[in-house]
Amino acid sequence: MYEEENIEPDFLKRPKTNPFRTPDYYFESLEDRIMGNIEDKAKKKSSSAKIIQFMKPALGLAASFTLVYLLVYYPINTFLLKDNTKTAFSTTAPADLLNDYSINLTSIDENSLVDAIFSDETNNIAETNPDEFLAYLSSGLNDVEIYSEIQN
Amino acid sequence: MTNDQQILDSLKDPSTKEQAFRYLISTYKERLYWHIRKIVLNHDDTDDVLQNTFIKIWNGLDSFRAESSLFTWLYRIATNESITFLNQRKRKSMTSLTDENQYLIDNLEGDSYFDGDEWQLLLQKAIATLPEKQKLVFNMKYFDEIKYEEMSEILETSVGALKASYHHAVKKVEEYVKSHETRIEP
Repeated sequence: MYEEENIEPDFLKRPKTNPFRTPDYYFESLEDRIMGNIEDKAKKKSSSAKIIQFMKPALGLAASFTLVYLLVYYPINTFLLKDNTKTAFSTTAPADLLNDYSINLTSIDENSLVDAIFSDETNNIAETNPDEFLAYLSSGLNDVEIYSEIQN
Repeated sequence: MTNDQQILDSLKDPSTKEQAFRYLISTYKERLYWHIRKIVLNHDDTDDVLQNTFIKIWNGLDSFRAESSLFTWLYRIATNESITFLNQRKRKSMTSLTDENQYLIDNLEGDSYFDGDEWQLLLQKAIATLPEKQKLVFNMKYFDEIKYEEMSEILETSVGALKASYHHAVKKVEEYVKSHETRIEP
């Protein structure tokens, strides 16, 4: 049915001519260019193969560590230590214990809060004798320097 | 070297491999070039695809089992490389089939290595409208005059299906030519 003998459209009777052309001497240098490309690709391939060869032990080691972690450390951490932490937490951190350390700020008025903050500072100043201040300030000075300081 | 078997024997020997491959290139370069050129149309694109084809051939020499002829194997690689090239470009430009066909024609008209007259340009435009498989079959049958049996091995399609494809392709080209030929002087 589809034999070409049965198909005879007009355009098939026209003479076939090649409308395409190539640059001058294109085919003459083709072998050299292709072989050059193959060599370049082979060089690139060998350099990347060298890098992989160099990295192989490190990658192998990293893979081993990951495997060990996944097979040993992770299950231990997940299943065995999980129970221990549960017990430890339940004995040391009950909800009431946390409440013992909390401060109920609503029960403190402003004045008592200010007193509490500055109480140490005011006490220190009040307890210090003025003579002790003078003695401290004049400890590094001789009589003439003390006299000139007083005059100024 | 006189035949494919001698080329293959020389390619297996590391001492003669490169020389044999050069011989293989020189034997098939023009046939493969024109086969690729009919598919991608533009010379620069054809040059890229041809070089990739020979690199693929070089890399795949060890895997060639001689189940098919050397010529068939080379043609199959060239065809696949050409289709891959067109598909990659289609993906990059996100174009539809119609846009892709238009791109091929624009590319052809802008190609300084296309010397076709109005009729030849019209024929290429008609071929560009064909689906991929029909385009391949039409080019291989009409321009390269490859036998259906060989084509069947290259495209891995039955002879019957190829004949049907060629029949449909010829009909479509004829219709396109008839509807556009009035503008061209006989």
